[in-house]
Amino acid sequence: MSDLELEGRLAHVTGAASGIGWAIAQRLAAGGARVAISDMDEAGAKARAAELGEGHFGVGCDVRSMDQVTAAIAATTDALGGLDLFVNNAGVEIGKPMVETEEEEFMTLVDINVTGVFRCSKAAVPALAAAAASGRDAAIVNIASVAGVGGCPLLSAYCASKAAVIRFSEVCAIELRDAGIRVNAVCPAFIDTPMVQRLAPAVAAMTGMEFGDVVAVKQGRYGTLEEVAEVVAFLGSDEAAWTTGSHYVLDGGISGGLL
Amino acid sequence: MAGKLEGKIAVLTGAAQGIGLAVATRYAAEGATVVLSDIDGDAVQAAAEGIGGSASAITADVTSEEQVAALIAEVVAQHGGLDIAVANAGVATVQPAVGMSLADWRKVTSVNLDGVFLTLTHAAGAMAASGGGALVTIASVTAQAGSPLISSYAAAKAGAVNLTRTIAIEMREHGVRANAICPGFIDTELVKPHKKTFADALGLEAMGIPDFDAFIAMKQGRYGTEAEVAALATFLASDRAGFCTAGEYNLDGGLRASLL
Ligand SMILES: NC(=O)c1ccc[n+]([C@@H]2O[C@H](COP(=O)([O-])OP(=O)(O)OC[C@H]3O[C@@H](n4cnc5c(N)ncnc54)[C@H](O)[C@@H]3O)[C@@H](O)[C@H]2O)c1
Ligand SMILES: NC(=O)c1ccc[n+]([C@@H]2O[C@H](COP(=O)([O-])OP(=O)(O)OC[C@H]3O[C@@H](n4cnc5c(N)ncnc54)[C@H](O)[C@@H]3O)[C@@H](O)[C@H]2O)c1
Repeated sequence: MSDLELEGRLAHVTGAASGIGWAIAQRLAAGGARVAISDMDEAGAKARAAELGEGHFGVGCDVRSMDQVTAAIAATTDALGGLDLFVNNAGVEIGKPMVETEEEEFMTLVDINVTGVFRCSKAAVPALAAAAASGRDAAIVNIASVAGVGGCPLLSAYCASKAAVIRFSEVCAIELRDAGIRVNAVCPAFIDTPMVQRLAPAVAAMTGMEFGDVVAVKQGRYGTLEEVAEVVAFLGSDEAAWTTGSHYVLDGGISGGLL
Repeated sequence: MAGKLEGKIAVLTGAAQGIGLAVATRYAAEGATVVLSDIDGDAVQAAAEGIGGSASAITADVTSEEQVAALIAEVVAQHGGLDIAVANAGVATVQPAVGMSLADWRKVTSVNLDGVFLTLTHAAGAMAASGGGALVTIASVTAQAGSPLISSYAAAKAGAVNLTRTIAIEMREHGVRANAICPGFIDTELVKPHKKTFADALGLEAMGIPDFDAFIAMKQGRYGTEAEVAALATFLASDRAGFCTAGEYNLDGGLRASLL
């Protein structure tokens, strides 16, 4: 069996200059895909693409701007010669009580985590549909979170946004099925990234536990970046050719257990 | 290139045909040593011979605690441990819930729920003794929604999913992962005999839908294949899915995602 289950695939990952997105980009490239890395941190995106080497591509893109999204996807299809896998990964968090959350920051989060996924998906569909029409498997993978499956105090905006991504993925899956485009979501629990480091002090203060102990009790251990990337690689490959409208958790059991 | 399950010892129930056989075949191709079991001894023997290599067969009825315990014990005795167990054996009957006898109800729940309990509990014990492993339950999307005419099947599948999650939490510290796969309709012997009954009960003709196959095409694009279930079962059993546990993985062409 080949390890190169993504040979020849043409992928785009948003928010891929750091954290989970960068791990996904590396995994897709290792699986044989050519990868476009975008991020609002343009220099970071280009540097990461250069790190991946020949055949990969980096572009600046803030998912809050439809113009930038449209341009980044056009640049991707130019650079790679098409697009058959789009990973909506860019996302941000707010870690504070709902009553202390400002309207503006709530709206900004939704603008990135939800509307950003909408903008990119809409803009990517023509290229994905063209790939499907030429007989290739075409897929969108949205990075949601277990925060979209269950409530997590201090994460009101974030949880709402990730639940929205799961449901949005389901509707896209149904609407785009006849066009040959699969749409699924991935729901990781706490992974040790800069995002979680930013959240840790507030969660620790609220629970009265060391953050590491919260992680150990609820999900056994931290998940790794590589483990998230494996699920994305699976859903993005034709191994999952009949999987659409699903959300796959990888969370050490945090959402599967009651206590 | 190395397989994804190189060196693993796997046991599967209900593996003489259909989905179970497809999973066993893929596991073997990925480098696992597979032990196929089924209530149908001749068929499972032939299935193991068809796979060849190190594949072997053991006859076992999953509704018998004695037989399931003996199955797991024999796998461990022969191969020195157990890494993967797939609770796949299943049956279905088609009849309305109202008016069903308890005996008819139990024909299905004894296999699809009690059988999964026996398989998971015995396999998990053996895995914990050899440092951990992966349990995969072949459940169904019927676990997640009211499923007319197959109440016993759907209720048992819901129970099997929940049991899988609970064992996952109980066994996390022992290195045992447990996950459920929820497929939509696959065109196997489990489904084929009942298409006409479903089509009539759903009133497809009155809706202008010619038959059950056409209905399936509308609801889930097409039938899934046994090989597609096997691909997901391979992913979940492999070390690639090391952080996946207590989860429910749908594979249904979008069937469950839509209200319509
Ligand atoms: N870390 C976790 O535990 C965890 C768990 C579940 C889900 N997630 C999700 O995974 C995704 C990646 O998170 P991460 O942990 O790697 O975070 P991160 O903060 O390490 O990286 C996020 C990346 O997105 C980029 N980005 C932010 N806003 C953007 C915008 N408007 N347009 C384009 N790019 C933008 C950032 O520049 C950064 O490179 C997010 O969607 C997050 O919600 C993370
Ligand atoms: N076909 C589908 O559409 C579908 C969808 C979702 C889930 N499933 C599930 O997948 C599993 C396999 O189903 P399939 O479609 O391959 O059906 P199948 O009828 O082709 O195979 C089922 C196998 O289980 C064996 N079996 C039955 N009772 C047994 C018992 N008491 N002990 C041991 N073995 C026994 C049978 O002999 C047979 O070999 C079942 O659990 C089924 O519920 C099937």
